[in-house]
Formats: sequence, structure tokens, C-alpha cells
Amino acid sequence: MMRLWLLALPVLMAFETPLDDPKAETRAQALMQEIRCVACENEPISQSAADIAGDMRIRVREMVANGASDAEVRGWFAERYGEFVLFRPPAEGTSGWLLWGLPFGFLALGAAGLALARARAGTGGRGAEPVPPERFDHANGTGN
Amino acid sequence: MIETAHMAAFLALAASVVQTWYGLRGFRPMASRMAYSAFAIMALSFLLLAWSFVSSDFSVSLVAANSHTLKPLIYKIAGTWGNHEGSMALWCLVAIGFAAAGALFLRTGRLRFEALALGVQGAVAAGSLAYLLFASNPFLRLNPAPLQGAGLNPVLQDPALAIHPPMLYLGYVGFSFVFALAAAGLIEGRIDRDWARATRPFVLAAWVPLTFGIALGSYWAYYELGWGGWWFWDPVENASLMPWLVGTALLHSIVVTEKRGGFAAWTALLAVLAFCFSILGAFLVRSGVLTSVHAFAVDPLRGSLLLGGLLAYGTAALGLFAWRAPRLKDGPDWTLASREGALMLNNLVLAVATATVLLGTLFPLLAEITGRQMSVGAPYFNLTFAPMLAALLVVLPLVQDWSWGKANLPGRWRLSAIAGAALGALVLLAIFVTGLPAGAGIGLAIGLWLLFGAARELFRRAVRPGRVFSLPARVWGMTLAHAGLGLFVIGAVIETGASHERTIALAEGESAGIAGWTLTLDGVRSGEGPNWYSDRADLSATRGDRTETLAPEKRYYPAAQMPTTETAILKSLRGDLYTALGDRRVVDGRVLWTFRVYFNPLIDLVFAGAVLIGLGGALAMAGPGRQAVAQAGTEPTRVVRAGGEAAA
Repeated sequence: MMRLWLLALPVLMAFETPLDDPKAETRAQALMQEIRCVACENEPISQSAADIAGDMRIRVREMVANGASDAEVRGWFAERYGEFVLFRPPAEGTSGWLLWGLPFGFLALGAAGLALARARAGTGGRGAEPVPPERFDHANGTGN
Repeated sequence: MIETAHMAAFLALAASVVQTWYGLRGFRPMASRMAYSAFAIMALSFLLLAWSFVSSDFSVSLVAANSHTLKPLIYKIAGTWGNHEGSMALWCLVAIGFAAAGALFLRTGRLRFEALALGVQGAVAAGSLAYLLFASNPFLRLNPAPLQGAGLNPVLQDPALAIHPPMLYLGYVGFSFVFALAAAGLIEGRIDRDWARATRPFVLAAWVPLTFGIALGSYWAYYELGWGGWWFWDPVENASLMPWLVGTALLHSIVVTEKRGGFAAWTALLAVLAFCFSILGAFLVRSGVLTSVHAFAVDPLRGSLLLGGLLAYGTAALGLFAWRAPRLKDGPDWTLASREGALMLNNLVLAVATATVLLGTLFPLLAEITGRQMSVGAPYFNLTFAPMLAALLVVLPLVQDWSWGKANLPGRWRLSAIAGAALGALVLLAIFVTGLPAGAGIGLAIGLWLLFGAARELFRRAVRPGRVFSLPARVWGMTLAHAGLGLFVIGAVIETGASHERTIALAEGESAGIAGWTLTLDGVRSGEGPNWYSDRADLSATRGDRTETLAPEKRYYPAAQMPTTETAILKSLRGDLYTALGDRRVVDGRVLWTFRVYFNPLIDLVFAGAVLIGLGGALAMAGPGRQAVAQAGTEPTRVVRAGGEAAA
């Protein structure tokens, strides 16, 4: 496995300085975790030490310092490098909506399916008998 | 030597085929003998293969490609499975090993069922061996033999990674035997309490090593990759997480089948799916269809063969399931507010969580078909997977004392709800004061809530506090696993929400600060090991009047022409001070060394929690209890004793 960042010379890294405003810096760091390094296998720019990731981090800080919103920063990167750089893909277009909607769709479908299966199975619990709670029987060494 | 190993693997294939034939025809003793023989032969084959690594026999092309005379002995041995072909040989050995274990330990009194299970397992082993021998043969010679080997991937030369693949494979392949037991039960049309009692230990036998395997992989990524993180929602990590999630759902569902005879079809389905997800994992890792930072040994042809195997075994098993499931008997009736209902909720959430991981992992591939390039990363899983599981964990302590059939919801339950709400409010307040992010605050509250719930359930079952230690191992196992989950959640959210990270460039004698520590670069030395040379930085870390030294290293392996990072981590109760050495640069005539430094609070809880979850599983396996023997074949009769104690 090639750790690109050890081979590349991260010239700009030393000159990356955190923003003075801690809130803005936190926001910039959160954004850096969401933007994919374009030179690496599968890493956000916050983790990568490739040159280009350093440039991208500087750009994020610049934009945040100039008052850009999170959406504006993401939009700028998506426009420049393609949607591929967003680890949090926007819920836009069919595939975007499917990606974000399906997990909750599965949950709703699963719950509905279970309810339906129970309804079809018959009594829906009317015949249920409570079973006394298990306790460990120390005399007989049984229980669970 | 290696020819003997090659021959032995063919013999093991033959024995597995014969085992399948006898097994599917219901001959238990012959199927067992074949399983033992296959295991003995395959073990010999694997040992010979390992020996060719230990003795650096470079006339074996696999050894020449993956080993080196200067490599320490342990990594020569580990090199056997540190490559695709060798790891497949290990896969086959484990598959056959589980057949032999099944032959030895399955004692249900239902000989045809046991024979069928051995037959199906024989078919799995035979399929794996055929793949090994015809698509990824580790036993081939190289002529002329080189004088020196090409070395093992240096990032893999690590103690954790030497045992990580065997653990993972015990889990993946262990689920193949669970699959075989499900197939046998389905063929017989009996997925009942006896089936569940026989199968549950094998589910644990796969799930426990898989848990440890994932934890080891994560720990390795943490200290070796030099990123400060431990889970990256990388496709290869997801590939191991999915079978684990299905296995976890299965562990909960099979309890309903064991105690009540319920959820029969669903349990069988999960048993089949756990193995399908294991093969899918192998496919995702080996085929290279997904870009990953962990994938090595990628080959499209092998990928398609694995996919073919997945489809063949999966379709056969699901077909069997569709045919037999309607005939399976179900347990007694139950209401939603019952242990069955609670475990159903657990399974619903775990199933949807697995589907979400699958969706997020494969979605970039699917989107590409429509011409859209997308990346799905940590933020996606943090917003979908995490809240679902969080909701499940909030509910867990509230419902785990519900009785089978119909819960008698007394005031006590309402009391614990109030206690939980109070606890949550208190913790949220504390977080508000300490300034943790909201997500971390909620996570911390959930973790504490789980610890409280685990302890409460333990004492509830013991009735009297003094009797906690005479509770069955199985109860302790469950408690440890749930408490481990609590610790894991606390570690994970605190580490994620409150870690510090800096990239610094230091000249000799310069200092920089992080999380109250001051790091000073005392110097950088060159070092040399058996098969590498290195730059090694000496850092002193000062905090108050305490001074510690840290020596992060950057190694270069000439044989593989590859660098690795050796992080230096200073552990303390508060967390890890984590340092990784980067590059050397000259700026304005000054020599600067780059470091990535992190402070990761409470990160040990992440790994300790995972280990506790695995230990809990092991304990639950170790203690089937006298109760299983006492109950075998009979419906439980329950006696209510004076004083309100009920015995099963």
C-alpha cells in the first residue's frame, strides 16, 4: 500500500495556520473531513498530506474566513473538481434522493412488512401468555 | 515439498467431495471420517506451505513474490496468509476445520441432520478448494528460482496484522458452517428449538473471532496508518462489518428460536445471509471493484469467480429457503410488548443498518452506471447508520427485562424510563457545561445508559446482589457484551467529538503545543533494522512537571521499495498523545520535520469495548449450561416458588 503523502513533498503544509476564530476553525475542519482528496485513494483532505490536499485545506479556510456558508464551500469544490469530491453527496437528482432516502425507506418498509406479516399470521398477540421472568435457580443450577 | 502440499490439497478436495456425497445421503459416520481426513490432509498441506515460507524456498513462486530471507520469523509465518493465494489456502483450511469441529461436537441425536450439515459444509469446502487449486494456486514452482524474495508488503509486517487475517477468516468461514446447519435444517424442514440449541455455539464460534478480527484491524489502522483515526467507513472495513452486523442480528434472533421456537424462518434466513455477506466481503476486497486504502492483491478474474460462487451458493440456499420456509413451525403467540417484540426490533434495526452499509458501500458503483461520480463517506454513515443504532441502544435497557410472550409492564419499567430520562438530561447538561458537540453528548449519555442497563439487568437476574457471581456464564456473557458496547460508544463519541489534531513543522530544538502538551524536537536519528532503514525523531512531550519521550519513525523497506509510518503513542488515562513523522524539508536553509500530532481522548475505550464485546461472546459460548442438558427435548416447565422466584 502506497502512502502517497510520504512520497509527496507537502510543501504548503507548514504554512497552514488554523483560523483565529475557533468557531470558524471548527467549521473549516468539519468541512475538511467531508471533502475528498483528489490525489488519494479514499481519504478526506483532513487526513491526506498530499500537496493538493494542503492546497484544498487552505482554500477551505480562506472561504470560511471570508464568510462563505458550508453549502457555498461544498458547491465551490463540487463545481471545480466534480461531485466526486463530496463525501457527503447532496440529496439531489434521483440517485441523490435514493441514497439518502433508502435507509429510512428500508426502515419504514421493514416495519410495515413486519406489521403485515403479524396481521396475516392471525391473532396478533391476543393469545399471548406472559411467561414468568427467568431467574437463576441457585438450588438446581438452572435458569438463563 | 510443495508438490506434496499440492497433492494433499487435491486429496483434501477429493475427501470433501466424498464427504458431501455421504453427508447429503445421510451417512453421518462416513461424512465425519471424511471431514477428519480432509482436515488432517489440508492441515498438512497448509503446514508445508508455511514451511516453504519459513525456510525461504524461493523456488515456490508465492514465497518468492511475498517473502524475504531477512524477514523476522513471525512475519515469514504470517507471510503465508499475507497474500491472496495463501489467504485462500487458510480459508480452505478453516472451512474444513469447521467441518471437522462439526463432526466432533455436533451431538443432537438427529443423525440425518448432522450428516446433511456435514454434506453442505463439504460442498462449501470443495468449492473453496476448487477455487484455490484452479484460480489461485499457491503451490506453483518458479524456474529458475530467484536468490532473494520480493518481500512482504511492509505495512503488513506488524504483530496485530499477523493474526488479524486468521481471526477474520475464522469469522467469515465460521459462518459457512452456520450456513450449512441452516441448509440442513431447511432440507429437513426443521428449524426448531433443538436446531437453534445446536447451532448457537457455532454462530458464536464465528462471531467472536470476527469481532476480535475487526477490532484488531481497526487498532492496526489506528497505530500503523498514521491518520489518528480508527474507523474510516472504507469499503474494506464495511465488508467485514456487514457479516458482523448480520451475525449480531442472528445471535439475537436465534435466542427466540432456542427459547420459544419462534422466528424460525427469519433465523434461518439470517444464517444463510451471514455467510453470503462473508463471501461478498471477500469479493469486495479481492475484486478491486471499489477503491480502498486497504485492498491489496486485486484481480478482476478472481473477483468474478468469487461473485459466481456467491451467486451459486446464495441462490441455492435462498431457493431452499423459499421452498421450505412456509413449512416451518412458529413458536407460541406473543404481543409487541414482549421479549420477542424487543428482539424483533433489534433485528429490524440491525437488518436495516446492514442494508444501509451495503447501500453506501455499493452506491458509488451503481451511480457510476448512470454516469454520476459520487463518493459516499463517513458523513453519510454518521447521518444514517449512527442514528438508527443510537435509537436501538436507547431502547435496549428499557426492554431487556421484558418477559417472553407478553411483558407485564409494571411501574418498575416506568421508573427506569424516568431514571433514563433523568440520566440523559443530566449528561446533556454536563455536556452543555463542558462544551462537547451535541452528537458526542448524546453518544456519551447513551453509553452511560447502556452501562447502567447492563448492570441493572445482571442484578435483576441475580435477585439478590450476593448471587451475581453464581449466575450462568451466558448471562455474564450478555452483560459483558452490552457493557462493552456502552464503553465502545463512549470512547467512539468522545474520541470523535473532542480530539485535537495538528500538522506541525519543527526544526531541531523547536516546540509546538497540543491539548496542554508541549512537544519539542530533540533531534532526528537514522536507524536500521533487518530489512529496513529509518528516520527516527526524538520528541519530548511536557505537560506541567511531567516529561515523556516519544520516537515516531518513518521506515523505508528497500526490498518492497515502500515507506511505512511507525507512530509513537503516549498513553494516559485521559487519552492518547499520538505522533506520526512526516517529511524532511529545507526552508530558508533550515531543516524542518513535519509531524502529524493528535490528542485522542478516551480512545482506549473503543478497543477495550470491542474486546469486551468479543469476550462476552466467548463467555456465552463457553457456558451452554446444565440447563441446556436439563431442557433438551422437553418443554420448559416453570415453577413459581415462594418468594416470587421462578425457575426454568
